[in-house]
Amino acid sequence: MASTNPSRYLRHDLIDWLSQDVLAATRVAVVGAGAIGNEVAKNFALLGVGHVDIFDFDKVELHNLTRSIFLRESDVGRDKAEAVSARASEVDPNLRLSAITGDAWKTLRLRSLPDYDCVVTAVDNFEARLKLNQLCQIARVDMVNAAMDSRWVAVESYPFSSPDPTACYECHLPDSAYERVAQRYSCGGLKRRAHAERKIPTTAITASIAGAFAASTALRLGESRQLPSRRIFVDTIGGGSQVTELVRRDDCPGCAAFGAAPRLVHASRRWNRPGAEPDAETARQVLRLSEALITDYRCANCGMLEIADRYINRKAADFDDSIAFCAGCRQPAIQIEIRDCFRVQELVERFGARPIPVKYALAEINGQTVCFNFEEDDR
Amino acid sequence: MTDELKIQVRTADQTRRAELDLDRSSTGADIIQAAVDNWALPADTDYTLVNTTTGRALMPGDELSKGVRAGDVVEVQPVLVAG
Repeated sequence: MASTNPSRYLRHDLIDWLSQDVLAATRVAVVGAGAIGNEVAKNFALLGVGHVDIFDFDKVELHNLTRSIFLRESDVGRDKAEAVSARASEVDPNLRLSAITGDAWKTLRLRSLPDYDCVVTAVDNFEARLKLNQLCQIARVDMVNAAMDSRWVAVESYPFSSPDPTACYECHLPDSAYERVAQRYSCGGLKRRAHAERKIPTTAITASIAGAFAASTALRLGESRQLPSRRIFVDTIGGGSQVTELVRRDDCPGCAAFGAAPRLVHASRRWNRPGAEPDAETARQVLRLSEALITDYRCANCGMLEIADRYINRKAADFDDSIAFCAGCRQPAIQIEIRDCFRVQELVERFGARPIPVKYALAEINGQTVCFNFEEDDR
Repeated sequence: MTDELKIQVRTADQTRRAELDLDRSSTGADIIQAAVDNWALPADTDYTLVNTTTGRALMPGDELSKGVRAGDVVEVQPVLVAG
């Protein structure tokens, strides 16, 4: 890494509310290297944000090039995160920009999340936003959620690092958004093979405005106070904008269960030591797993199947609805039970000393939510 | 206090607006559904409500009486999801 030439930031130095030292010490995660992710990365690089990690699982496609400042035709087929990180590094080689390729649900670790000053979510679907909302709350790291279409831009800030309870992404999410997520799945957790994703048109104009507000909000430029959860909503055609306070919802499915800040405990997926039976109270403890598991698999016509072991105790998200078709009677007669809540005793019986294949588990212990982070084995 | 509340409802682009007498027990979701139906808003989009007078978002399941007063202007905004 080269040393920074002090004259690079001469203009920034004239701004009394902008500290280059603070920016250099800032560490952010940008999840999604699409149109908004490109713009956010560009702004962070130009501003001199010291450490930027860019997460994306996807590859560059030709149609991305109309909205993504860092992508070129020669990048088609390349990992998006790699391409964006490499080009953003050219803006300022003194910064640490890293590409993390893969599903952010797996690559964004609960142990390392608190190292970030902010996570910017620039993904393209509700499901990913819901998951990031959960992770950022558990890790108590501030989240900025940026989204757009061809006219409107919404940038929401959720100060999860605040000691005070604050609204989360789900507090104002309408039921129709959950219905849209549910359309991607059948049997409560299996992906639908035939589901066609809705294509939402966007432009470089909305992307650049979303990226500007997202970067400014993430860095809290010109604002030293901790603001409550809020949304900036911009009409990129009419020019109007609104700032809306987002109030915490008492029965919110995304944050009501957390109450006060959850306690994070780093554990192993092989949490049940052989011979060490849980005491009666622990055995009764209910755990809500981060991902639903298939707990029963049988054919209504053929009964229990030998192949059931391929599915039982595995994550439902690993399969699509083709497994609901019985190879024996050739009927869609498979009955599949999928659950995410278990008593400790049942998990002991199901897994023994084998690893539990989920990211984390939540439990209510003495009135506090405790999150057991099972990612330690993945390090 | 009457059971009805006179408010103004409009779309985010302000091309559609209406002054409505609504039951206090109506919910945000009721208003959104009425707006989608009466104004033929795109049905493949999700919507949220904002009270532009107070600058606060309204919960979809909450009764209007909780976050809206007579004369307030309520805006139907799309929930954006593309990145």
